[in-house]
Amino acid sequence: MDLDFVTLIPYLHMFWAGVLITIRASILAVILGSILGVIVGAMRVLPFKTLRSVAAAYIYIIRGTPLLIQLFLIYFGLPSLGLNLPAFAAGIVGLSINSSGYVGEIVRGGIEAVPKGQWEASQVLGLSYIKSMKHIILPQAIRNMLPAFGNEFITLIKESSLLSTLAITELTMVGQQVRSVTYASFETFILVGLIYLFLTSCIGLGLGIVEKRWQVS
Amino acid sequence: MNNAIEIINLHKSFGDLNVLKGVSLSVKEGEVVSVIGPSGSGKSTLARCICRLEEINSGEIRLYGTRFDNKQHSNKELSSMVGMIFQQFNLFPHLSVLDNITLTPVKVRSFTKEKADKLAKDLLDRVGLSDKIHARPRQLSGGQMQRVAIARALAMEPQIMLFDEPTSALDPELVGEVLDVIAGLAKTGMTMMIITHEMLFAKEVSDRVLFMDDGRIIEDGTPSEVLTHPTQIRTQTFLKRMLAHFGEQLTKDTSGKDDQYGS
Repeated sequence: MDLDFVTLIPYLHMFWAGVLITIRASILAVILGSILGVIVGAMRVLPFKTLRSVAAAYIYIIRGTPLLIQLFLIYFGLPSLGLNLPAFAAGIVGLSINSSGYVGEIVRGGIEAVPKGQWEASQVLGLSYIKSMKHIILPQAIRNMLPAFGNEFITLIKESSLLSTLAITELTMVGQQVRSVTYASFETFILVGLIYLFLTSCIGLGLGIVEKRWQVS
Repeated sequence: MNNAIEIINLHKSFGDLNVLKGVSLSVKEGEVVSVIGPSGSGKSTLARCICRLEEINSGEIRLYGTRFDNKQHSNKELSSMVGMIFQQFNLFPHLSVLDNITLTPVKVRSFTKEKADKLAKDLLDRVGLSDKIHARPRQLSGGQMQRVAIARALAMEPQIMLFDEPTSALDPELVGEVLDVIAGLAKTGMTMMIITHEMLFAKEVSDRVLFMDDGRIIEDGTPSEVLTHPTQIRTQTFLKRMLAHFGEQLTKDTSGKDDQYGS
């Protein structure tokens, strides 16, 4: 079998454009998903039962259904309610909501992993709930969350390939377009796969550095 | 004058488990009270109710005449009244020794950083850990951690200090250094309640010893009354079992001798 990557050279600018869209979509989704996820996670640990149940149901549904279906519901379903989102916006919303379910669980787990004695010491020393959270619990919880949070970012980059089903010309979509012109399927998707691997490796590497620095300080 | 601690008919249960079955107790200002008794007798729960870590089911807890057994008072108000030392130290692992001590004076008592630093240095000097001021908790031994925890609690200048088995999590050779600090504190006239299994220490340092069993205080008197001449069968049984571990020291008259309580 001959692999001929040279056929892909005229299309490199298309891959580059696709990578940029993948990166943009992932970064936007990780930011929005984290904001939403922190809110959901906070609702899971706050001492209000109703909020906790609502957040638990949200996480249950988001994590129990496929991202692809969530994307279809937002892009193809919402217009029947009169809400027409452009494909890229629908994709970001879908990815963010999906990610928020997982981030919510990471936040909850990170906070709950802080030993109960830390709360007790804070309380006895006179800190209010909010001050305990801010000065004692969250600084420790964030450290607990960091590795899982990095994994979530990596997952998000990979799952952004599903945006191709909404005809967004991110990396995977570009791959399909190039394949249909060049018929070099194997070469195209090897390249696409390697680019994803490169992106996820960068996150993993960056995360390792942050974690190490955090441990020293 | 109001008693420092006044407890009236306190009941506390966890689900179906009745842990405190009607505890009444008065502790005068400046009194040092040790609480002894078998595991599960409710000693720790009693201390945790006093510092409001547990909600009580019924009864009253008054500290200097004021009820703190409900949510009407803020954590801040409570912290100026009572300090607590935990078996597991509960130092803040992400903060240096200095910041462990200064955090709450700054955030709760609104001290300036300079004033809090000065206070922390004085307290570290008092517990003999001036050289560890910039260390992290994980770099300390258990005994050092507990001494930092004591300094941290004192930084809130509470009226009353509670100690919940302060040496139970320590290696035997580290027990003495912590007991020395607590004994030093007792001499300053602070009101203290010490839950402990260190019988010799209880005998040396306390004005009064309580024996708890099955959720009740069943013996209450001077150290020699409770530890040397207990009237209750259950106290005698308990002490006999403890003596099997600690030899004959307890029955000897050790009054007047300091520093004999290290195990």
